[in-house]
Amino acid sequence: MIRCEQLRFAYPGDAFELCIEEFAVAAGEAVALVGPSGCGKTTLMNLISALLVPHSGSILVGGVEVSRYPLSARQHFRLGKIGLVPQNFELLDYLSVRENILLPFRLGAGSGVDARARERCEELAGKSGISEHLGRYPDQLSQGERQRAALCRGLVTAAPLLLADEPTGNLDPGNQDRIVSLLLEEARRIGSTVLMITHDPVLLPRFDRVVDVLALRKGGVS
Amino acid sequence: MNLGGVFFLGWRYLGRNRAKTAMLVAAFTLVWLLPAGIALVVGKVESHLRVRAEGTPLLLGQAGSALELVFNGLYFTKPAIATLRHGETEAISESGLGTVIPLYARYAAANHRIVGTTLDYFDFRGLRIGEGRGLIDLGECVVGAAVGEANGIAPGDSIISTPETLFDLSGVYPLKMKVVGVLEASGTPDDAAIFVDLKTAWIIEGLGHGHEEAARLGDEARLVDLSGSGDGIVRLNASVVEYNEVTVENVDAFHFHGDTSDYPVSAAIVIPADAKGQAILKGRYEVAGGLQLVSPGAEMGELFATVFSVQNLVLRLLGVIGSATLAIGALVFLLSNRLRRGEFRHLHHLGADPGTVRALIAFEAGFVLAASLLLAGAGLCVLQVVAPILVRQWLG
Repeated sequence: MIRCEQLRFAYPGDAFELCIEEFAVAAGEAVALVGPSGCGKTTLMNLISALLVPHSGSILVGGVEVSRYPLSARQHFRLGKIGLVPQNFELLDYLSVRENILLPFRLGAGSGVDARARERCEELAGKSGISEHLGRYPDQLSQGERQRAALCRGLVTAAPLLLADEPTGNLDPGNQDRIVSLLLEEARRIGSTVLMITHDPVLLPRFDRVVDVLALRKGGVS
Repeated sequence: MNLGGVFFLGWRYLGRNRAKTAMLVAAFTLVWLLPAGIALVVGKVESHLRVRAEGTPLLLGQAGSALELVFNGLYFTKPAIATLRHGETEAISESGLGTVIPLYARYAAANHRIVGTTLDYFDFRGLRIGEGRGLIDLGECVVGAAVGEANGIAPGDSIISTPETLFDLSGVYPLKMKVVGVLEASGTPDDAAIFVDLKTAWIIEGLGHGHEEAARLGDEARLVDLSGSGDGIVRLNASVVEYNEVTVENVDAFHFHGDTSDYPVSAAIVIPADAKGQAILKGRYEVAGGLQLVSPGAEMGELFATVFSVQNLVLRLLGVIGSATLAIGALVFLLSNRLRRGEFRHLHHLGADPGTVRALIAFEAGFVLAASLLLAGAGLCVLQVVAPILVRQWLG
């Protein structure tokens, strides 16, 4: 599903440089990305989602070289192929929970907000236990409920690649478990590949593979 | 760029932040509406005042403020101006240089000015009786259309003049006047006036009066005891009934003491016989002490020259305030968008292209601008309809 080779990226004016010889994730695999803060986990994820363009090397997602996409194609790639679950929920406070979950369709994913999209939204909300909050606004929800809403938004398009950047970082253990369970179960059900950044060792056994990005930069895979 | 999504997000943002949106729209609406509204209202006032002023050739009055004279003689405001002798107006008539229509607009009834004049006034202003008839007898009045409509007055009703000084026991009693006609609406200050014969106005002033004849009393109880004064004059005391209404029975008892040439009028419309007569009259009153003969059109021209210079200043100030308001509005947008940077970044991460985010910002700003322009336009349309009515109410 994902194949990175001879990857090299640096932020302008910053000493940090991400160099990865080789990194691959199989389709349907659930991979946890670990490593100390600043080691390049989020940078790697942004390169894979085509938010950043590598200075050299290649990134293939589903067999397609995404790093060479023009800007408009990268937007379409993200809308159509990636489900994003951010750490800080990133829910729009002026949209209801339902509208937030359906947001990717509003931006152009799929065929817009149709009956199927609504059905999928209801289904995910039911599985994550926020059905009764669909008409409410994010500021009326608890942290755990907000993260579940953000997770539903990441899953709603049934994208082949799910990228989750520390989605459990702000949650209590109960909610952490619930979020990761829902993410992995739903990904398995629809056959999505999962790449999730986490610092929590308790969650690691639930993934197919754990990749230490710091070790990856030195040429190894753990 | 997904325009449907842009409109949806923009609309939902404005709706969720409706207080901020409403305040911005209201502020921007005022920025457009105030200067345009002021210009429109001043324009309406000017045309309303100018038409009447330019339709009045000359106005004679006591020396003093020409504008006060014009406002008294044309719009029946400023009742407290100095008066001139009625004889002065008769002198112009007798000279053959022009026709004179005396006006005595000092008293009021229920906030409507009572205008004492002659029948020539109705012909001069083109006023027509809508109901009833014109003035014939002493103590009668004809009311303007607005007076009739506002007070439900019709021919056969009565109007009582408002006492000038309520606690002045030696003052003049209010006069009860019989309404004999209601004028057709003319859209001028005449609509809000009550017209009486000049002599009736003098009766209200107390210069003419009617009372019981002392000879018919049958006793001497109502004579002032002046025994010992030695001047040989018989005087009636306060128990003699004074009439405060002119009726068929008592009309003959009304009389005027002294020479009516000395009686006051507040102004007189002068219609020169010809250009020569006008030139002679103007020359005469330019040098005559104590009186002035003004051209109302020219006076209004001067007044509006001043009004327009003040208006220009006000408009410039409004322009500065408007610019500041727009700048503050723009700042609100900028700060708001800065606060929403995280939201825009996330939309980009989800797959929104930069054009979508720019269109979202433009939609919100455009909505506020368009809504304020629409509201200001609607306000101007309303003002266009309401302003003439308001101007007539303010200025009569």
